[in-house]
Amino acid sequence: MTTSYPGSLDSFTNPASTDTLSSSTVPHAAQHDNANDAIAAIETTLGTNPQGSYSTVAARLSALGTSGVTFSQWRFTSSGGETSLSGSDAFSTTLAYTAGAEMVFVNGVLLERGVDYTASNGTSVSLTNALVAGDIATVASPSSFSVANAIPLSTVTAKGDTIVATGSGSVTNLAVGADGSTLVANSSAGGGLSWAGQPYANPVLNSAMDIWQRGTSISVTSASVYGPDRYYVSSGAAATYSRQATGDTTNLPNIQYCTRVQRNSGQTGTNALRFSQAFESVNAISFAGKTVTFSFYARAGSNYSASSNALAVNMYAGTGTDQNLIATGYTGQTNPISQTTTLTTTWQRFAYTGIISSSATEIGFVFDFTPTGTAGTNDYYDITGIQIDLGSVALPYRRNASTLQGELAACQRYYYRITNANQTPLGTGFGFSTGGFFAVIPYPVTMRVAATAIDYNALSSIQWQGNAGGNTPSSVVLDSNVNSIYSAGIDVNKSSSFSTTGVYSLLLISGGYLGFSAEL
Amino acid sequence: MDTVTFIDVETMAGTETHAIITHADGSFTSMLKATYDAQQATLPSNSSIPQAGE
Repeated sequence: MTTSYPGSLDSFTNPASTDTLSSSTVPHAAQHDNANDAIAAIETTLGTNPQGSYSTVAARLSALGTSGVTFSQWRFTSSGGETSLSGSDAFSTTLAYTAGAEMVFVNGVLLERGVDYTASNGTSVSLTNALVAGDIATVASPSSFSVANAIPLSTVTAKGDTIVATGSGSVTNLAVGADGSTLVANSSAGGGLSWAGQPYANPVLNSAMDIWQRGTSISVTSASVYGPDRYYVSSGAAATYSRQATGDTTNLPNIQYCTRVQRNSGQTGTNALRFSQAFESVNAISFAGKTVTFSFYARAGSNYSASSNALAVNMYAGTGTDQNLIATGYTGQTNPISQTTTLTTTWQRFAYTGIISSSATEIGFVFDFTPTGTAGTNDYYDITGIQIDLGSVALPYRRNASTLQGELAACQRYYYRITNANQTPLGTGFGFSTGGFFAVIPYPVTMRVAATAIDYNALSSIQWQGNAGGNTPSSVVLDSNVNSIYSAGIDVNKSSSFSTTGVYSLLLISGGYLGFSAEL
Repeated sequence: MDTVTFIDVETMAGTETHAIITHADGSFTSMLKATYDAQQATLPSNSSIPQAGE
């Protein structure tokens, strides 16, 4: 049998297991002859090296399918009067074209798109002039194809998607972020970019440890007090919270100061040294239901005694109003960030992400250093650059205010201290009895609430002056009735010292101070 | 260790009781006794914020 391939496919009869070499149905020699002819026909058709540089012919054909382009042709012989071309032609080819890339011919003459015909849907062509019987209409169109090293459209799937590089010669899709979010560099993300919340003021006040109205070294023993402005601190052992120079322009973004949280040398108490800040509700509510990233810079002293150099980092949220986080805890308290970080003696930035509950009206953070054994000379950690950002990325560090004066004013909403330079006038007033006079001391900024407490270092550093001379008082207290967020009303007392018609001035002397607290 | 004394002070509104807290470093904090009493009711020892390791 002479092979029919490649004109048509051969039909072979396979021998059965009972056929012998001399079978008349499937003669043995004829079987070989037919198979050899067919194989030779296939080889002739394929030619030599049909796979080319590919491992198989199939692989070569497949590559042609994705990177090559084919040109389809649809041919139609008119019966007369046709103005629309579609469907199958005489060769059973269905009209399909790439809109805008098609070419339409009538009797070999190329028609002008938009004038002689319109074609938009990929499956039909509308002619301006009807065909005449015997006309041959041809529609030619290239197939869609892929270009080597081009990024396929399928990489993006939705409005706002962004193509980002994951490395040399590779890309991925970054889905669009929430409305109003900002695209920021993020070396931790696969594509090197992330969507983050709007970069707005860091809500942490005194985050760079610039403002220390109560003094730049605060001693704490078994008590909870305010240390650097806005930070509530406590310790179970004799401890010192002091302002220090960071001394590092390599690992810090030029932040001048830090707070040193130190267990005093020789101390054996092992209760945690706390360092915390709570925001008043008006500044916390904007974080409800949001993803936040809490970041800070820290390093350990050479004798930092916490086990494994650990520093506990917690962020809390609550549903109350203006509560003191450490003193009372929060109503409906949750703990969106609870981490333990490991410090080294080199400054590092740490960042943790959590989600604030949607009902939150309060937020605050607490650092706990739990010392062990007996404190050495350098049993401390340093901390600064504390920041909270919306989103899952710690943005570059920035203060709450754009100026140091603005930062001070923000802190004075909660505490204001006047420290004597030399005979510092505090305010003036009038005698309300022979035992006291009332003085008004204006605040530089509006306080959060009317002050609830005053503090001073010694009554001997406070003095009044009147027409009949002056003296130091026996007591100085806030007036419970005349006291506001704009100015303090002070009652200054000393028996048999004043006249109800007298006018008096209140002064600081001898390095004294007088502070007004409206803290949480 | 802080020490607290209560003093009756003559003010424009009459006589009031104030708390004078003397701190270990010799400085003072002054507030109405009612304010002091309210703060004592919310000492950190009553806090629901656990210390590390608790």
